[in-house]
Amino acid sequence: MRKVLLLVLTLQVSLAWGEAVVLAPGYGELAYEPPAAGTYSLPSLGTAVDGRVLDGNGKALNLYDLLDDRLVLMGFIYTHCSDVNGCPLASHVMKKVQARLVALPELRDQVRLVSLSFDPEQDTPEAMRDYARHFQHEDFDWRFMTTDSETDLQPILDGYGQWRQKLYREDGSYSGSMAHVLRVYLIDRDKRIRNIYSAGFLHPDTVVNDIRTVLMEATAVAEGGR
Amino acid sequence: MRTLLALVLLYTTYAFADETCMSPYMAKIEGQEDFVYVWTLGIEGVGDEQDKLVTVDVNPESEDYGKVVATLSVGGRNEAHHTGLTDDRRYLWAGGLDTNKIFIFDIHTDPAEPTLHETVADFVDKSGGVVGPHTFYALPGRMMLSGLSNNRDHGGRTALVEYTNAGDYVATYWMPTDDQLMGAEKSGQFADGYGYDVRVLPRRNLMLTSSFTGWNNYMMELGPLMADSEAMKAFGNTMVAWDLHARQPRKVLDVPGAPLEIRCAWGEDHDYCFTSTALTSKLWLVYADQDGEWQAEAVGDIGDASKIPLPVDISISNDDTRLWVNTWNDGMTRLFDISDPHNAKQIFEKKIGVQVNMVSQSWDGKRVYYTSSLLANWDKKSPQGPDLQYLKVYDFDGKELTQTLAIDFLAEKLGAPHQMRFGARALYGEQVTAR
Repeated sequence: MRKVLLLVLTLQVSLAWGEAVVLAPGYGELAYEPPAAGTYSLPSLGTAVDGRVLDGNGKALNLYDLLDDRLVLMGFIYTHCSDVNGCPLASHVMKKVQARLVALPELRDQVRLVSLSFDPEQDTPEAMRDYARHFQHEDFDWRFMTTDSETDLQPILDGYGQWRQKLYREDGSYSGSMAHVLRVYLIDRDKRIRNIYSAGFLHPDTVVNDIRTVLMEATAVAEGGR
Repeated sequence: MRTLLALVLLYTTYAFADETCMSPYMAKIEGQEDFVYVWTLGIEGVGDEQDKLVTVDVNPESEDYGKVVATLSVGGRNEAHHTGLTDDRRYLWAGGLDTNKIFIFDIHTDPAEPTLHETVADFVDKSGGVVGPHTFYALPGRMMLSGLSNNRDHGGRTALVEYTNAGDYVATYWMPTDDQLMGAEKSGQFADGYGYDVRVLPRRNLMLTSSFTGWNNYMMELGPLMADSEAMKAFGNTMVAWDLHARQPRKVLDVPGAPLEIRCAWGEDHDYCFTSTALTSKLWLVYADQDGEWQAEAVGDIGDASKIPLPVDISISNDDTRLWVNTWNDGMTRLFDISDPHNAKQIFEKKIGVQVNMVSQSWDGKRVYYTSSLLANWDKKSPQGPDLQYLKVYDFDGKELTQTLAIDFLAEKLGAPHQMRFGARALYGEQVTAR
């Protein structure tokens, strides 16, 4: 018996099967006042893992090279993702975060955004470079990375607990789509994961507050050490 | 016939029926579930006497339909109780209320035959003294656990405990009490610090907890407990509204009589959750008022409270119009019309067995699953037979429950079945996309 898997899109439109779907909160205004930066803590959720990645020019580097000097907001994406509450949401929210940080000199140079593809087959360095053009601001550090192969990619996915599953056509060929759980990670300078966002949580208001919270904590520690 | 399975990668506008009663951060099975995983208490003199995860094939198109296709014993008896799936639905966490062990099962490598991936044996030490890991609730990349008790006096004061999906301890969040409100507003008479269930409404940044009783009571024989007036005072009377993002308690609500399972609505504008109170036999609604403040209100009676029906598990429909409510003591399941959440009306009832505890329904509400066991020392021992310790499955057409499957867990030498979770091969195997 065949099993059919649908990615349920949550867009305010009627889809082919007549199902109205709803945009994730990250596309609009929050329905609540988020807790103020510094009024809560973000305990470590474990250590971010390293791995071999490629930048938009095909240059190989270690993921840790991108996690060594700044707070990092890293989202796993693939450029063919059609789920409006999946990868497009991640890129949309990260672009909004970028816009806010560009306007905040005290934060701008302390944060890096990283979008890492989990589809090396389709997302070549060139494809990531093309994709980046829609999002990158010249005055901000946002890297669009991929990997050379599934062999390089899988340990990274395992390390972050980022599950994804390729979807195949009835003739057995890869459809170009994947099922996945959206996850975006906030990583501090000590390479500790400080928050994990899914579609229900990913919003520029809360992300920027979390960035401020982690930076305030680091400042307090530094001042306490003097 | 094709099975339609949807992975919902988002938030809260869709129901996850048990599928409707699960975390909004989880993929859901919209079509026919293949398996039900039943966390089962070992019983002295029954089979290997150990707690076990029992896997039942429940797909009518399977050649193994209706059969127990796997059992996985964990060694000894732990007071097996509740389970929860991680947000990626690859692992099933199951707890023991007595030994405080947490068993993490791999259900993705072979959904028909789960394996024990890891056992967390230091929950009490890591959490700073929390006892009785009860609810296992998926958050992004994490699990939120609710405790029932503590290791200082084994009473009801307890906490929430957060873990990573990898099984690493993250933090403990103690329930607010009169002497330690932790910034919460005490809105009524009580701030008892007790715990039981946890659910969230992310769109409102709400995390909601309920309250039961401590180890001293839940490990006591039921007869002596009910005859002990002091012990009967040691049950929770509160629910707590938390700031989900900050993990901070904001408001303590009076909900007298041990509010247990919490089920939150799914509609975009439905800012409310239901619970049932075990000792006072009422349905309660926790809702956001016109000012956005969380309030609690009794909205319906469950049977005749004077006969102590003992409401237990509840399950909300995916359109927020129906709520199944089980009463353990009389073995009844009741269906309430909750279209007006402030005025719940019973519209159907049926006796399921000598005792009935958990209820889970498929996404479309067409299949309803029941199990019997509540707690080892509270479960009934007679009359013996197929209606004492069982898994029963029914088709529901909106008016009647028609039994399609029943397994006598004593006759099959399995034990006492408690919480159920659904599984589907399509969640993990090679997929065919519809587009």
